[in-house]
Amino acid sequence: MSGFDIVFLFFAVITIGSAALVVFSKKITHAAFALMFSLFGVAGLYVFLSADFLAAVQIIIYIGGILVLLLFGVLLTVKISSITITTQSTQRIWGAIAGTGLFILVLTIIIRADWFIPEKDPGDIYFTQSRQIGERLMTEYLLPFEIASVLLLAALIGAMFMIRSEDK
Amino acid sequence: MQRYFLNIYIGIKTILIGMFITLKHMFTKSVTVQYPHKKLDIPERCRNLLLNKIEDCIGCYQCARACPVYCITMETIKAFEGENLGLTSDGSKKRLWIPVFDIDMAKCCYCGLCTYPCPTKCLIMTDKYEYSTYKRDNLIFHFTNVDAVKAAELREKDHIRKMEKEK
Amino acid sequence: MLQKEIQREYYNKFVELVVEIAKWLGMYNSLPAIWWFIIASIVAALFFFFIIAVFALIAIYVERKVSGHVQDRLGPMETGWHGILQTLADTIKLFLKEDIIPAAVDRKLFILAPVIVFMTSLAVFVVFPFSEKFVVTELNIGILYVVAISTVVVPGIIMAGWSSNNKWSLFGAMRSAAQIVSYEIPVGLSIVCAVMAAGDLSMQGIVVKQAGGFWNWFIFSNPFTFVAFFIYFLASLAEVNRMPFDIPEAESELVAGYMTEYSGIRWAFFFLAEYGNMLAVSIIAVTLFLGGWQAPFPALEFIPGWLWFLCKTLFLVFVQIWMRWTLPRLRVDQLMYICWKVLTPFAFVCIFGGGLWQVLIK
Repeated sequence: MSGFDIVFLFFAVITIGSAALVVFSKKITHAAFALMFSLFGVAGLYVFLSADFLAAVQIIIYIGGILVLLLFGVLLTVKISSITITTQSTQRIWGAIAGTGLFILVLTIIIRADWFIPEKDPGDIYFTQSRQIGERLMTEYLLPFEIASVLLLAALIGAMFMIRSEDK
Repeated sequence: MQRYFLNIYIGIKTILIGMFITLKHMFTKSVTVQYPHKKLDIPERCRNLLLNKIEDCIGCYQCARACPVYCITMETIKAFEGENLGLTSDGSKKRLWIPVFDIDMAKCCYCGLCTYPCPTKCLIMTDKYEYSTYKRDNLIFHFTNVDAVKAAELREKDHIRKMEKEK
Repeated sequence: MLQKEIQREYYNKFVELVVEIAKWLGMYNSLPAIWWFIIASIVAALFFFFIIAVFALIAIYVERKVSGHVQDRLGPMETGWHGILQTLADTIKLFLKEDIIPAAVDRKLFILAPVIVFMTSLAVFVVFPFSEKFVVTELNIGILYVVAISTVVVPGIIMAGWSSNNKWSLFGAMRSAAQIVSYEIPVGLSIVCAVMAAGDLSMQGIVVKQAGGFWNWFIFSNPFTFVAFFIYFLASLAEVNRMPFDIPEAESELVAGYMTEYSGIRWAFFFLAEYGNMLAVSIIAVTLFLGGWQAPFPALEFIPGWLWFLCKTLFLVFVQIWMRWTLPRLRVDQLMYICWKVLTPFAFVCIFGGGLWQVLIK
């Protein structure tokens, strides 16, 4: 087993282990914080796929944005300590069907996809894609990019409209 | 809009003024006195630790009565016949033994009221102010010039004298 | 192309150094090559821990002295010559203190929180170019990595505040998180200004673009980056909870904010993280806007780069300390006003203007 394998296993264990914690944890805050490690592990796995830009963006958006929002939601909930989360299984049959279906779907994608495999030269494994991503966004995918930005702008204005005080 | 920019301008300007002032103060001489190494002279009539010059004390109780917090404890025994206790420095005759003269500085409020009535000016306030200790008992200052053995002897004799008088 | 050459040349310099030492000791062949990479990472982590610790020792001393002299006092004078050993003595005291974990805390999170907060402040150091030769790892997305890692501190702080089971801790954590999340926006936007001027995300690449005299530094290269520097500096002060933006740990209202329940060595880690962040934001400001290790005049290039780097960084640290002892603490609404209504619009103007300048004038 090479060192890279060990580091990969480390990130994989972090991702899956804390994802399991999210599901099985009895306390909602523990679940939320375990999600942080899971997201962080995913970012680590992105680095192994030589997607460093994506890894950094994953951390910024998921840990810095969504997770913080989620934590705020959890902490601002009234009587947080009295809420009990049920971790026992209900709806076993439907759950099993949905889970198996999802698993088969993901497995099919894994097997069928045309994966990008980086060259073996270790110097090139970490060659950045940020320049390529930027160029593609500004040329090939300009329209979707602009549509997404207009959508975000609309969401921002909507949020501002909603939090505006009424008396003004 | 104008107010917004004026606000920013004033903010930046006042921050710069403040920063300049603190920069100036960084290089002015500091006012700190390095206390244990260097001490300021204290005023002549300051009120600090009490001192009783016991050789001048005539045991008149004036100070103990004047004290508003009762921090002076004393005991006096009349001199026995044939005993000459000597004179104070201003020439008045001493008639009493003073086996106990304690001042509890923990209670003292530094008002100085005890020093004014003293007829021989033997109870004074000194300029000594560093007498903190680890035990509260050490704040009780003993000013007697009669040692414990002598004091017990005097009390014994005084008791005998009282018994004789009662007879 | 220049960028790629630099990347090749300084790629994992630190790993090479460790390998050289291992070869010199005759141990290189005893382990597979990849293990030396892992060992180099551990050595780098310890090295930066050492740097942060030494910096904190000096910075705390300087902070005390500056605060003293600003207020016409002397500061520490007794321990060593002019109190120079005071922080060392305090550190020893902290290490010897009892490790208290209050009974009502959420034990796991309470122990984990200082580790996360300190790790984020340690992890950003690997991409900083300390000189033309010394970079631990030359990431192509260097500045993006720095921004990404520094966002992880927010869950760490919330973790500390929540697990302490204390109202002051929770309030401090919430305020801190709100503040950091808000101020990430002007920080990010002003960083974009410098990145646009450089056309590069790599820290070393950004420094190389500023070569040849102080007029080529991004702070002076156009008026928009000049403004962006000040926006970055102010917003970064808020991001590391320094005065005048220290409402998360406002002593007069919140005892010590999210660190209220911490003591001894765990508290020391929060404190180290704070000073590490202080150093980190100064280094980022120096790298992005003040030319990193470049000399201010081409004639002065014989002085080694790390010395220039150190001087500029420590000057910014000094300015931070100086500001702390000058300005009073802001109110919460004023804090948000400055972030959303002043710094963010100005940063947008800077991006727009800087882009135009880049296209039209250069």
